[in-house]
Amino acid sequence: MSLSLCKVRLQEERKQWRKDHPFGFYARPKKTADGTLDLTRWDAGIPGKSNSLWAEATYPVTITFSDEYPSKPPKVMFPPGFWHPNVYPSGTVCLSILNESQDWRPAITLKQIVLGIQELLTNPNPDSPAQEPAWKAFSKDRATYEKKVKEQAKKYANAT
Amino acid sequence: MGKDTYLRKILGPERLSKIRASKVLMVGAGGIGCELLKDLLLSGFGEIHIIDLDTITLSNLNRQFLFLKEDIDKLKSLIVAKNVQSFNYFDCKLIPYHGNVMDTKAFPLEWYNQFDYIYNALDNLEARRYVNKIALFLRKPLMESGTTGFDGQVQPIYPYETECFDCLEKATPQTFPVCTIRSTPSKPVHCIVWAKEFLFQQLFSFSTLQEVLQDQLRGETDDSEEIDRINKEANELFALKSLISQEDFPSQVIRKIYDEDIEKSLRLETLWKNREKPQVLDFENTYKGPLMDMLSDASNESILSDDARSCTLLEILYIFWVSIVRLQKRVNENQELDILFDKDDEDTLNFVSAAANLRSHAFHIDLQTKFDIKQIAGNIIPAIATTNAIISGFSDLASLNYWNSNFETKHAKTTFISIKENKRATSAAVGPPSKKCASCGQVSRGIANISKDMLKMTVQDLLLKIIKKYGYGDDISLLLGQGELIYDYDFDDNLESKLADIKSFKSNEILLIQDEEDNWENLELYLNFVDGDSIFDLPDLTLRPKPQVELPKEDEDKNDDNGPELEAGFIEIDDEDEPPAKKRKIQEEIEIL
Ligand SMILES: [Zn+2]
Repeated sequence: MSLSLCKVRLQEERKQWRKDHPFGFYARPKKTADGTLDLTRWDAGIPGKSNSLWAEATYPVTITFSDEYPSKPPKVMFPPGFWHPNVYPSGTVCLSILNESQDWRPAITLKQIVLGIQELLTNPNPDSPAQEPAWKAFSKDRATYEKKVKEQAKKYANAT
Repeated sequence: MGKDTYLRKILGPERLSKIRASKVLMVGAGGIGCELLKDLLLSGFGEIHIIDLDTITLSNLNRQFLFLKEDIDKLKSLIVAKNVQSFNYFDCKLIPYHGNVMDTKAFPLEWYNQFDYIYNALDNLEARRYVNKIALFLRKPLMESGTTGFDGQVQPIYPYETECFDCLEKATPQTFPVCTIRSTPSKPVHCIVWAKEFLFQQLFSFSTLQEVLQDQLRGETDDSEEIDRINKEANELFALKSLISQEDFPSQVIRKIYDEDIEKSLRLETLWKNREKPQVLDFENTYKGPLMDMLSDASNESILSDDARSCTLLEILYIFWVSIVRLQKRVNENQELDILFDKDDEDTLNFVSAAANLRSHAFHIDLQTKFDIKQIAGNIIPAIATTNAIISGFSDLASLNYWNSNFETKHAKTTFISIKENKRATSAAVGPPSKKCASCGQVSRGIANISKDMLKMTVQDLLLKIIKKYGYGDDISLLLGQGELIYDYDFDDNLESKLADIKSFKSNEILLIQDEEDNWENLELYLNFVDGDSIFDLPDLTLRPKPQVELPKEDEDKNDDNGPELEAGFIEIDDEDEPPAKKRKIQEEIEIL
């Protein structure tokens, strides 16, 4: 018997997202084996900012909410091996608004989270490296870094 | 003179006979439970049921007075019931259960219905929230009680008339991931927690050995090598403990922890990809000689009690060594099997502060003075027998009002106690349910009795039944369990599915219904499958208009007041006009039918 607060808030987030979400993004709960939607696990897509290395592609993430949400932040993951200085090898995103002991606040909405991640894509934080290859390249070998980002963008390029 | 002469005088004959005829439930038979059971028994209750999950440990005995040394390892629930018999003057019927209160198989909702009153004597948030919810479903009075150190509170809860347990946000205590503490510390506090909660206990506290929570560990890391290493390390320390009678125990401890364990962890290269590698102490070659010189000079002992000193590494090793020798002596000579950390026990504090600093050194973390470490390590609040006794007394006394013939819930009071001079005991009237509360302020509850043959109904049938019964105007959403959405405006895939095909639509689950237009409050239906045919009984409830509550505002932080855990207070929210309805989908479907 989980906390009502978590469920009520998740449905509220779904409703708010339906009413208003940023252009080019998507977010939907995963389907379970018996055909219902699991509001604690979402698939979302984050478009790279136009005029950036990340443009022309939408990057998939999964967002997982624990039953202590919104006291505790959700966990956001790119596919494993995602190339970005602040993404762990497992794909977990390292971002201050997703860290309970840093900037997470229960009032932060799904919209703010995905916009925060979009911002992080183009503006990595060199002070909190989460993976060695992308972080090293970003700080020491910008040409390689950019090449890899562009390759990755091609991989996730929009179908259109 | 009858044994109940005074009770009769204090309570009045009418109230006493009501109490004699009452059946109550006490959840938890630990620190508060032991005290509370005594109080309830002596107040004359006719029948008391007791649930507890735990077995008795040595460390319980200092405050849980109903347990004796010979009861160690036995079940708390059974032993409390047995050990109060010597003063069971009013022939109270005591029924103990060993089990988890949240086990819906053993304790389904209907089981709770037999009680007139529920007392919580619990120490964990999850179970307290669960019982609160049960009380809300059944509209049972609940007495909530809790203590932290010298602070304590009792809160009488009369569902939907007074604040519930969830009406006020609880500050969740800061916890650290096991992996951070055991493998990859990055702050002084991580090393202090490790020294105090892990190393010290493994070596000197017999009764409170902390098992690594395997599930928690697995939830944190997929790295099986790291899990193996953490578990192995704990086992090896256990083996090390058996060497405590040997003279070279101190050097064995130092070599094991600051040389061997660090070396082993260095071999797990993935851990150090993005972190600075820890350094091995190299005790034998670098420090043992100078340390022996220091130990032979008694004038160095002044270092041991200099709390503000910024020690060199050698001095820290000196403090560590001496504290181990002294603790070792207490175990071997004084037969102290169970030394508990106490910030005022110099040996234990020296051990913990030195061990923490040595670990900080290994992981390139700033060293702290003993004074600083004392503040941090002493911060973990002890359980105090007297606080438990006082709070249990208030819990019992405050509940007795309920059986007064002229009792009204608005007379209920919450009581706080503290060590502060002018606030030893204070009380305040309990507030009404908070409109913000997701457990009681924005939701009504009831039990839906359903016979299995009705599961051939479709989701659409269910939807229309609910809308019709409760007068939800427009679109609603249906959620089950942890957050399984069956239906909402944007998701109608299941409308034709039979309820039998939705796996989580089962007995003892909760169906949450929300008005997507925000006109009416939420509804939680407890699904109770019953024998029989064609039964689909939805509870009779009148929904209240939904209070207007926006998502929490950015500047509204958690209530992290350091006072008693459950501060009284009530936040009023202005009602605003509802936005106009937009969708008519469901209503159209009703008209078609
Ligand atoms: Zn409430």
